Amino acid sequence: MVGPIYIIAIALGLAFAMGLFGKALKSVTGALLLAGLAAMTFISGQWLWAFLNDAVTTSQIFTAGFKPPYSINLQMGIGEAFFTFIINLVGLLGALYMYQDLDKKGEQIKMIFIVFIMSMNVVVMTRDMFNLFVFLEIESIAVAGLVLMSNTGKSFQAGIKYLIATGIISGLLLIGIIFAYYFAGSLNIDNLIAANLGASKAGVIAVFLILITVILELKPFPANGWGIDLYTAANPGLGALISAATASSGFYVLYKLLPLGGAEWMNYVAIIGGITFVGSNLIGIKQSDANRLLGYSSVGQVGLLMTILGLSPYLNGKFTFIAFSILISHYLAKAGLFWISGIIKQKDIKNWSNLRKEPILMVLFGTFIFALLGFPPFPGFFGKWELIMELAASGMFSWMTVILAGSFIEGIYLLRWFSNTLKFDNSELPSFKVKLNKVIPPIFFGVAIYGLGYYAGTFVEGAREIYYLPLLFIVFIAFIDFLPAWIKNTISIVGVIAYMYVLFPTVEGDLLRQIFLWIFLGGAVITLASGYYNKTKRVGFYPMALSMFAGLAMLISAKNLFEILYGWELMTIGSYFLLIRGKKSLPHGYSYLMFSLGGSYTMMFGFALAFASSGSIGLEALTGITIFPTLAYSLILLGFLTKTASFGVHTWLPGAHGEAVADIHFMASAILLKAGVFGIILVLLGMGSEASYAKNVLYVLGWIGALSALIGNVAASFQESAKKLLAWSSIGQLGYIVFGLAMMSHLGWTAGLFYTITHFLYKGVLFLVIGGIALKLGTPIMYKMGGLIHRMPFSFIAVLIAIITLAGIPPLVGFAGKWLFYNAIITEGYYFQGIVVLFSGVVAFLYLFRLINSIFLGQLKDEHRNVKEISIWFLMPVYLLLTAIMIISAKPGLILQPLGKYLVEAGLPGEVLQWNGTMATTSLGHWDGFRVMIIISVMFVLLLAWLLITNAKAQKVKQFNIVYSGERPERPETTHMAHNLYAGYNKALGFIIAPYVTGFWNWMSDFIYDTAGFVRRIYSGNGQTYVLHIIVYIIAIYLIILN
Amino acid sequence: MDNITLKLLFTLLGLIIVLNWGLLMGATMQKIVARLAGRHGIPIYQPWIDLVKLYSNRTSITHGVMFYLGPVFRLGGGVGIFLFMPLIFGSEYFTNFAWSGDLVLILYFQFFGMLGMALGAGDGGHPNSVIGISRGLSQFTTIEVPMTLAVISIAIQYQTLSISDIVAAQQGGFLNWTIFTNPLATAAAMLSLLGAFGHSPFNLVKAPNEIPIGPPTEYHSSFLGVLRTNSAILHVIEAVLFMNLFFGGATNWFELIIKSFLIYFWSVFVGVVFPRFKIEQSVTWFLKIPALIGVFAIIIYL
Repeated sequence: MVGPIYIIAIALGLAFAMGLFGKALKSVTGALLLAGLAAMTFISGQWLWAFLNDAVTTSQIFTAGFKPPYSINLQMGIGEAFFTFIINLVGLLGALYMYQDLDKKGEQIKMIFIVFIMSMNVVVMTRDMFNLFVFLEIESIAVAGLVLMSNTGKSFQAGIKYLIATGIISGLLLIGIIFAYYFAGSLNIDNLIAANLGASKAGVIAVFLILITVILELKPFPANGWGIDLYTAANPGLGALISAATASSGFYVLYKLLPLGGAEWMNYVAIIGGITFVGSNLIGIKQSDANRLLGYSSVGQVGLLMTILGLSPYLNGKFTFIAFSILISHYLAKAGLFWISGIIKQKDIKNWSNLRKEPILMVLFGTFIFALLGFPPFPGFFGKWELIMELAASGMFSWMTVILAGSFIEGIYLLRWFSNTLKFDNSELPSFKVKLNKVIPPIFFGVAIYGLGYYAGTFVEGAREIYYLPLLFIVFIAFIDFLPAWIKNTISIVGVIAYMYVLFPTVEGDLLRQIFLWIFLGGAVITLASGYYNKTKRVGFYPMALSMFAGLAMLISAKNLFEILYGWELMTIGSYFLLIRGKKSLPHGYSYLMFSLGGSYTMMFGFALAFASSGSIGLEALTGITIFPTLAYSLILLGFLTKTASFGVHTWLPGAHGEAVADIHFMASAILLKAGVFGIILVLLGMGSEASYAKNVLYVLGWIGALSALIGNVAASFQESAKKLLAWSSIGQLGYIVFGLAMMSHLGWTAGLFYTITHFLYKGVLFLVIGGIALKLGTPIMYKMGGLIHRMPFSFIAVLIAIITLAGIPPLVGFAGKWLFYNAIITEGYYFQGIVVLFSGVVAFLYLFRLINSIFLGQLKDEHRNVKEISIWFLMPVYLLLTAIMIISAKPGLILQPLGKYLVEAGLPGEVLQWNGTMATTSLGHWDGFRVMIIISVMFVLLLAWLLITNAKAQKVKQFNIVYSGERPERPETTHMAHNLYAGYNKALGFIIAPYVTGFWNWMSDFIYDTAGFVRRIYSGNGQTYVLHIIVYIIAIYLIILN
Repeated sequence: MDNITLKLLFTLLGLIIVLNWGLLMGATMQKIVARLAGRHGIPIYQPWIDLVKLYSNRTSITHGVMFYLGPVFRLGGGVGIFLFMPLIFGSEYFTNFAWSGDLVLILYFQFFGMLGMALGAGDGGHPNSVIGISRGLSQFTTIEVPMTLAVISIAIQYQTLSISDIVAAQQGGFLNWTIFTNPLATAAAMLSLLGAFGHSPFNLVKAPNEIPIGPPTEYHSSFLGVLRTNSAILHVIEAVLFMNLFFGGATNWFELIIKSFLIYFWSVFVGVVFPRFKIEQSVTWFLKIPALIGVFAIIIYL
């Protein structure tokens, strides 16, 4: 094992060598630098490896042969090994990245570079206070020197500001050290800690000065303008180092020194960190400069780490894991993002769409953004999960709120940045070159972040049962993305079927999960099968679609809350990428993502409360939550309701779905929304209906369902776009389901689950057919269509059957839902919500008629006279679904009977649906679906025969052979009554859908943006102001802490 | 003759009675309205003549399959409601096929005919038809509100959704009728009925002098015959529905004829007195007083 002292020795030797023989070595200094850094990385790496394998114990290096207090000692423990390793690694990759820049500037700058890396190593390893001070100074000067490398006016200014600020900070640190030495008689950190400086009043000041300066080095909000300017002005390669390495070393210093302050200072650090986390992210919202934005995000992340450090006593022994996973996510992602920023060379984040010209960089960019936000499968996800769970277990609910709020705010700008990059036009932007040495570091970190995600998962209790095979399959599909769509499609279908085959035995006897498995994965097979229509490559489509399905399947197989959230997030990411493929989907995709993010945080909060009350993260934790039960259940439900797009959190859906392509629309609506339903079911099964809080929650939930039904259906009636119509209709239909479940009774759930199944069937038909037509005609606008029944008879029949089912008209199966609702509403006493739901059901006629009439009936447009039937790939799955509809229409008992049996076993209260042959009865009413079907069929045939007899020789004429307003109309456009069809209704009841909710969310978003804009003003860019900030900050903290 | 054949024959007989009574009732109403206006009016047998004429027209045109099927759906809707409606309380044969479904089935089966008709008319391609349909559907959504409230109210009252059981519960004297035991629900439903029957002020759907008869604009000859047949049946059978729910049902045909006449007359009476509403007026009208009464009809059971 090579001693850690050699890290310093190599660095110093190299620096001196460059200084002395720089000119002679000119041609090889670059290589020497890399070799030196590689050696340093290797040494710390081998120590880390040894520690991880328990091969070594912490060792001390004493300089000059003396022991402290007479000498400086360095320590190499697992902490030091880890931190020096990550510092040296990013140093090595950073040097490789900046190879040309460094080479251009000559040996001196390389010397500074290696001294910079070395100083951080020492800062991490040293156990001597004064030594720490010295190397912090060296580090500051080195940073300033490196900043000047950029050679612009801004970088000069930033460098100077940085020097002034760090000068003041280290001056105060030095005073603190002097005080400490005076009282403790030693400069050794361990001795200082042992001396318990806090016991004396003067000692308190020493501790204060030392700790506040160490904290200031971490750039706490708002006294961090100097640091932010540095990020903005520095070469992005250096930004990567400052963000990844300096911040890490600074954090470790705080970790080392915090015991000086004792428990009290832990709280202060937590609070300072919390303010920094929220404040920095808030200001980040208003940034348009990529590097500055990353600067704010970096500062924010360090703030989070400070909070975690401060709260470590409450993390029940999981501090190391949590800090590690958050830190490593930040370290890898932030360095990666800075590096990408240096490659694309676009300051303004609006121009980052240029990144799409290099797909690898785009993938990396997405990886880093989602890693930073703590999405699975990245390490931050596991860290955040454990953090929130342990905080809840320790009763730290307000801290959970702060952390989740800060994370959400961070999501606002990171995801907006990402969405814009994904969708903004980049045709005007100049192309850029990617040098190999610049792309290796981010690729390396990108791969590492996936690997560490897996590694982090092994430490989390709930994650151990995660089934990684589907994820590997997705990776495989991603690798064969260059193949034509039909090959990937076939492989995907085979994969999904295989997964179904594996999963089915695991849900044996569990009807609920079987139903959802059919909807999720059976639906996947159907939609993928329709995907053969697409003759392009569909780049990126399959990995994302499969991620969504894998996430959905994970919900089914989940044994604990963690897996639920993991599957949920996976599904969210996958579905986001599907939804954003639409042409104008940018704002809607973004809003979908924000609602999902908010939803998953509220869900996490609720899960944490469940964990805190039961001590377990198993699904049984959802039963009988004792800590703030109303809040806990409401939050979890809210999370799931964002996916069912229920009233209040529905605003993302119409746009997002309205822009989606046919088969994606099917996935997103008929399948994806059911994930929310599944979640609600899990929660309600746990919550029950007996407790008083449960009654309140259910009452509100019932109204949410009813209002969703109302606004969904009314709004659907006023749409001109068939897709938006269907999207709003989904909101309405999901409202029925939520309402049914909220009744929390046997009949209510029978109705709710029955709707879940039938909605999947008829909506599947509608999405595929309407989507197929929109694809064929190039528009979803209904008044531009008309008369297509004669061109697309199969589509017409499919839509006709689907809308009869949706409308609940006997004899088709939709009626069962209405009948069950009537019975449930009256037996359970949900009269008024029920009326709203039933009224909504009637309103559905408006949009259903509009849909079928405007598209298929009326006048055929001239340009559509030769249009053909929609793709056979759409029609095949459609007719499969129709067959299912017809079968359960004739025999509704096929589904309702087992469902009823299951719900009895599940213990749902209330009256049970009774069966006598094909006759279903409740205490109120009766209905025999089979007989009704027979009676109506016979009657229909007889009446048709009657008409055929009396009217055998009707002459066939075209629609256009009419007389209207005393004239023979000239063009079909003037004679197709479709635009603004329900004008009168809009006049009468349009107020129902006035966008109050959208208005609320807009106000909310304006509020956050305005606050950010206001707070941002403190950063004037003036060095003196920044100094003032530091001083005021110190005084303020001093006054607060020492009263 | 076995039981089921007998049952079918009686059902057919019931249908013929209902059809003819519907035609006669329609003619009587027209006559009354004409006399009120100081005109002589149509001969009482005019509807039969019309039907015979329409069914025997030798020439006709069709705009397509859906256009052809529209009237079939429409008549199917009327006959279907007839089939699921118990007509004569206590009669073994004139209860039709009411055992296969309850009140909810009838409420939703109304849509069968409406939807088919709407689609058939849409296939006709005439803008007036679609204008009429859009009005009809708009108006229908809110007509249903007081009706649903009333239905829920009486379902709570009688703890059943079976029409036969509701009629049974009203036997034993007229004071047992729902109109006396639950006047609020009855009031809400009877106001809703005005819309359902489509007379003035709620006749914007067909508005003869504006969008020449709306949905059936393009229908003629036997298509129109089928539609006329249906409206005769439907008027009686809807009146029978209200009779069953609110006015004690009927124990014989005579009672049925009297009661259905009076119920139907109520809508004609209002129609003669009040002029036509605009669509936004009629849509909101049902959500005001009638819905409020309906809400109270439920509140009394809370």
